[in-house]
Amino acid sequence: MKKLIALSLLLSVNFAISQNKFLTKTGVVNFEASVPSFEEVKAKNENTTAILNTGNGEFAALVLVKGFRFKNALMEEHFNENYAESDEFPKATFKGTISNFNIEDLNSSEKEMEYNGTLTFHGKTKTLDANSIKITLNADNTISLSGEFKANVSDFDIKIPKVVSNKLSKTVDVSYNFTLTKK
Amino acid sequence: MIMKKIKWIALLLIVVLAYLGYNYIYQDHRNISEEKAAFSVTAVSLQEKFSNDTQASETKFLNKVIEITGQVSEINETDFTLDDAVFCSVDKSNALSKDNLSKTITIKGRCIGYDDLLEQIKLDQCTIIN
Repeated sequence: MKKLIALSLLLSVNFAISQNKFLTKTGVVNFEASVPSFEEVKAKNENTTAILNTGNGEFAALVLVKGFRFKNALMEEHFNENYAESDEFPKATFKGTISNFNIEDLNSSEKEMEYNGTLTFHGKTKTLDANSIKITLNADNTISLSGEFKANVSDFDIKIPKVVSNKLSKTVDVSYNFTLTKK
Repeated sequence: MIMKKIKWIALLLIVVLAYLGYNYIYQDHRNISEEKAAFSVTAVSLQEKFSNDTQASETKFLNKVIEITGQVSEINETDFTLDDAVFCSVDKSNALSKDNLSKTITIKGRCIGYDDLLEQIKLDQCTIIN
């Protein structure tokens, strides 16, 4: 009997966990490292997987580096081969925990909350402390997560050749927008 | 006379170099739908390969054009999934109509990597072959 209770408890816990997941496979991540009056250095990834656990406010996003598309094909090639080295480091991750998260607090008006997290790119991890994230619970029961942050090129062990160093910003603006559906 | 000739040749050379340079810097993106597939596999066998040895599979398949056969398990506006194993991103103009759900199809696309959160392989710029 005890075993049965334990088992049913376990099952209900599992059930509860699976009920708390919101995810997308088509999240958008943009970055820009442009310098004024030079050609824009900008890319977009529209196939990011992002998961939010509404039970504890934990989120994780997995960005496949080869999925970043540039307007300029040669720039895309150089980004993959020389800077991101995406053959060796095909994945970038962005994850964190939203402080004092409670799904009951969410509604259709955008709420700004705080999270602590990490960004991993090119094999290097950088912490993102007390950053803000915008959260909305939409009418169709999807959750929108969006925000932006700055990342220093030097934090990720990326070397920029001298010839292009004045055409490339040392800080990269990253923005993301995920519309998550309950799973 | 010779000076004039040299000037013309130099000018021509500059024009040709500028043209080649421009074409190099502003070259076209790969056209995945016209490239020949490097591999032809089923969605399930591709997932097995990636979950058994992610690194070796990444080396083998990343950035390659792959032809994949599988049963459609999910359809959205700009993507669909084969056998819950291979996620295929498409342009809106190439979207798969909803009546293809649970049909077996063959597609071609570029492998962008392995999503280990969902244990799915991701492809972009997909086109439906069959």
